[in-house]
Amino acid sequence: MSAILSQLKSLDRRIVYGALLAAVLLFPLVVRNDYWISTLVFFGIWAILGLSLNIIVGYAGLFQLGHAAFWAVGAYTTAILNIYLKVPILVCLPISALVAAFFAIIISRPILHLRGDYLCIVTIGFGEIVRLFLYNDPFKITGGVNGLRGIARPSIFGLEINTPTAYYYYVLFFVIITILIMQRLENSRLGRAWNYVREDEMAAEAMGIDTVKVKLLAFAIGAAWAGVAGNIYASRYTVIAPETFSFWNSVVMFCIVVLGGSGSIPGVFVGTLGMILLPEVLKSVLSPILEWRLLIFGIAMVVMMIFRPEGLWPHSRYRLELRREETSS
Amino acid sequence: MGIVLQQLLNGITIGSFYALIALGYTMVYGVLKLINFAHGELFMSGSYLGLTIISILIGAGLGGEALLWALAGVFIVVMAIVAGLGVGIERVAYRPLRRAGRLPAVVSALGVSIALQNAVMLIYGPRYRVYPKGVIPAIYWQVGGIQISLLQVFVLILSLILMATLYYFIHYTRLGTAVRATALDHDVARLMGIDVDAIVRIIFIIGPALGAAGGIMVGLYYGRINFTLGWGYGLKAFTAAILGGIGNIPGAMVGGMLLGLFETLAAGFIPQGGAWKEAIVFLILILILVVRPTGLLGERVAEKV
Amino acid sequence: MGKKLAAIVTLVLALAMVISACKPKAAEPIKIGFVGPITGKWAYEGEGMLKVIKLLAKQVNEQGGLLGGRMIEIVPCDDKGEASEAALCGDKLAAEKVVAVIGSYASTCTEPLSKVLNEKNILQITPSSTATVLTEKGYKQFFRTCFLDDKQGLFAAEYFIKKGWKKAAFIHDNSTYAKGLAEWAKKYYEERGGTTVLFDAITQGEQDFTPMLTKIKAAEPDVVYFTGYHPDGALLLKQGYEQGIFPKIQFTAGNACNNPEFIEIAGKEAAEGVLVSTEPLPGDLPYPEAKKFIEDFKKEYGEEPASIWWVMAGDAFKVIVEAIKATNSTDTNKMAEYLHTKFKDFPGLTGPIIGFDEKGDRLGTIHKFYVIRDGKFVPYE
Repeated sequence: MSAILSQLKSLDRRIVYGALLAAVLLFPLVVRNDYWISTLVFFGIWAILGLSLNIIVGYAGLFQLGHAAFWAVGAYTTAILNIYLKVPILVCLPISALVAAFFAIIISRPILHLRGDYLCIVTIGFGEIVRLFLYNDPFKITGGVNGLRGIARPSIFGLEINTPTAYYYYVLFFVIITILIMQRLENSRLGRAWNYVREDEMAAEAMGIDTVKVKLLAFAIGAAWAGVAGNIYASRYTVIAPETFSFWNSVVMFCIVVLGGSGSIPGVFVGTLGMILLPEVLKSVLSPILEWRLLIFGIAMVVMMIFRPEGLWPHSRYRLELRREETSS
Repeated sequence: MGIVLQQLLNGITIGSFYALIALGYTMVYGVLKLINFAHGELFMSGSYLGLTIISILIGAGLGGEALLWALAGVFIVVMAIVAGLGVGIERVAYRPLRRAGRLPAVVSALGVSIALQNAVMLIYGPRYRVYPKGVIPAIYWQVGGIQISLLQVFVLILSLILMATLYYFIHYTRLGTAVRATALDHDVARLMGIDVDAIVRIIFIIGPALGAAGGIMVGLYYGRINFTLGWGYGLKAFTAAILGGIGNIPGAMVGGMLLGLFETLAAGFIPQGGAWKEAIVFLILILILVVRPTGLLGERVAEKV
Repeated sequence: MGKKLAAIVTLVLALAMVISACKPKAAEPIKIGFVGPITGKWAYEGEGMLKVIKLLAKQVNEQGGLLGGRMIEIVPCDDKGEASEAALCGDKLAAEKVVAVIGSYASTCTEPLSKVLNEKNILQITPSSTATVLTEKGYKQFFRTCFLDDKQGLFAAEYFIKKGWKKAAFIHDNSTYAKGLAEWAKKYYEERGGTTVLFDAITQGEQDFTPMLTKIKAAEPDVVYFTGYHPDGALLLKQGYEQGIFPKIQFTAGNACNNPEFIEIAGKEAAEGVLVSTEPLPGDLPYPEAKKFIEDFKKEYGEEPASIWWVMAGDAFKVIVEAIKATNSTDTNKMAEYLHTKFKDFPGLTGPIIGFDEKGDRLGTIHKFYVIRDGKFVPYE
């Protein structure tokens, strides 16, 4: 009996994932509603952002509340290259990722040794400094408060990605690639190193792990992926402004990772579902009480942490960590 | 020269606000190792509550001298209410997470901050609110080329009194010693018979109360308040606390003053300084944490090895 | 447990999406959309605009609706002040088959919105986005009821010269609107022989303007033209007054300070004698529709409309309704054609709307200066 059940369970999972994949692939063809397709594109971009932050917060356990800064660097790099130098969007993509990674390395190097809460405040600080820089525009290239406009759309072999449906598959492609790369990272030596550093940094050092390099890589790779998301975002909406790269959005990303489930890829999707898709879906239902949205959100954050601090769909390892800490003292 | 002195005076005044709020951060961090993100919002709530009560008093016909005396009462009432709010928040959102690790505590604190800010917005509306004019009469003196207002004198003296009282409490009373002991080590303090939970409650009474006093003063001084006030002041006050050495009470006071001075001088004398004020404050924060994380007066908290 | 929960949530969401996507759309009411910052940094403006539009729609419906009894339905969408949300709102409203959209507030939101709406052939009128580029894309169905900053700047500059104020300081707050207005005013002012002694910006939401006031004092202008928003302008004025800088130097402001709260925050004494350049206040327009509008708004919401942009949104709505009536249809091509060619001299809430040019910009210039006397805005010469 139990043998049959366990067989069913594993079959179950593959069927579920298969069905999910089919649904995702066929969605725009079945539901010919531009609004929902666009919403899913938006969701996709945020999922990539969540996955990028997951590296820093989830895998490496570093407090990063200024992630929007990396997103901004990617988006603005793309915008500036494309508007002023007419560099095609797809060429801007790897450049933006590299610039973001480089930027991350520079600013994180001096602060890597900081303890959790301090790191938290400092990353907030960096996030705000970047945003102020974009807003004040001292070198006259960021467009200041109005941001930059007129960013082109990506084109592959002459075919321009212009419609919501085209964007859907474009973003879906990136999301899938991101998931695959994240899975690889998770199970690689680097991924394991991140785990050690997160759980006990001193022991990790004692085991010969270069914690500085490992943490730097977390920041760099996380930033690079945020840069990718920035490139996609910039070309999708053709207008970028400092508002978008606010502390608030960094908080949203942070919550996506923590509330969805630190360190787990499905967790990030659940988090993005709750933070991005759910409010969009509920917009019409919530319209009389739109102003309450943030209050409810704040309360939800507190409640979630009290009752399920490991998130909705956590990595099993992280759940063990948390529960173990609770019972030990 | 006159301009510099004037800016210095302004700087100290602003610095007093930062100092009062910074004390709240530093005390909570010293005892709980927790950055109370909601502290800035408590400060902001104080200023709104002050507005409500003063408006009620004025509506009831109070004015002039009587109002000035009643102001003392306003401060006490508002401080008490906000202290109560602080204790409540600690009980509901922080205590259950004391053992849960850093991440959940930070998220919870952020959640409280967001919830509180929006609760105030929903109650009072998103528009700017204006403090009634002339609660403290607009009297000015010209002293040696600079202008001092009664309002500034009021702010400076009251802040001084509050800070001195706190200093005395922490360093010269038994309860204050218990607070310091708990900040050093919870478990040993408990072994010595100190009720750690009670100490935490005291921290959450004093900190928010001071913040609330600062809030009322900001309202009286600038006349205009908004539910987003907590964010800006909060972060700057936290920087001040770190500047002085987190967990260190005189440090918070010194840090606050210095930050206020620095900010005003930078805004006044650096071209376009006004726009970059916040960035400069953050840079200071980052620089301190990188170069001298124990702050100016030294961190009074044992570093986790 | 977590996985099951997540799976159920996903399924429910998917179901909700499919259902709402397949819902048959009722064709009866005429849907007019509103895209604006109902929450977020500019919630004040977005909320207010929506209030005005809803009131006006209610009034039209109470009079029997349009096109033989069809009721107007306002479909709001919150863009939170962000470009991506505005674009999403565009798609959403298009899916709901709106005829026209009023919005958005900020140019950064209006632009991506206009791209989407243009592709879907939906009429769009922005009440407050002043970025020039918006009407240079050749979108036939894009209009705006606000004036480009150059008109107001020209008006202010000419006035300063007329008054013999030879030295001027222009203070803005780095926002598109304020900076644009300040730059145009400066340009026209200098062209007419004026000297700019200070051109600088304050930060929005700032509390302490002493540094800026010190600079102003040192520059010794005859007049200061503040083009930012009223909460900042009022505080700048108040602190300047307390420091004896104003009214020795004449304080003037642009139409974003056209707001009773400006006087409230600055205080009556400080505000006395201050000049504000603006479109005429509805209460001062010579035709009854405008005065009645203020009374109705007060009755409905208990306050006067507090921002010029709210009233502009009202005009946007009225223009749409007029276009529907005049073309006797909801065909946006016909409506756009009408607005470009035959629409003239319409009694708007921000003054007579002379018409729209072929780019969609509002024609004419009707600014005046208001002076604040005894806590009230009064038309000045």
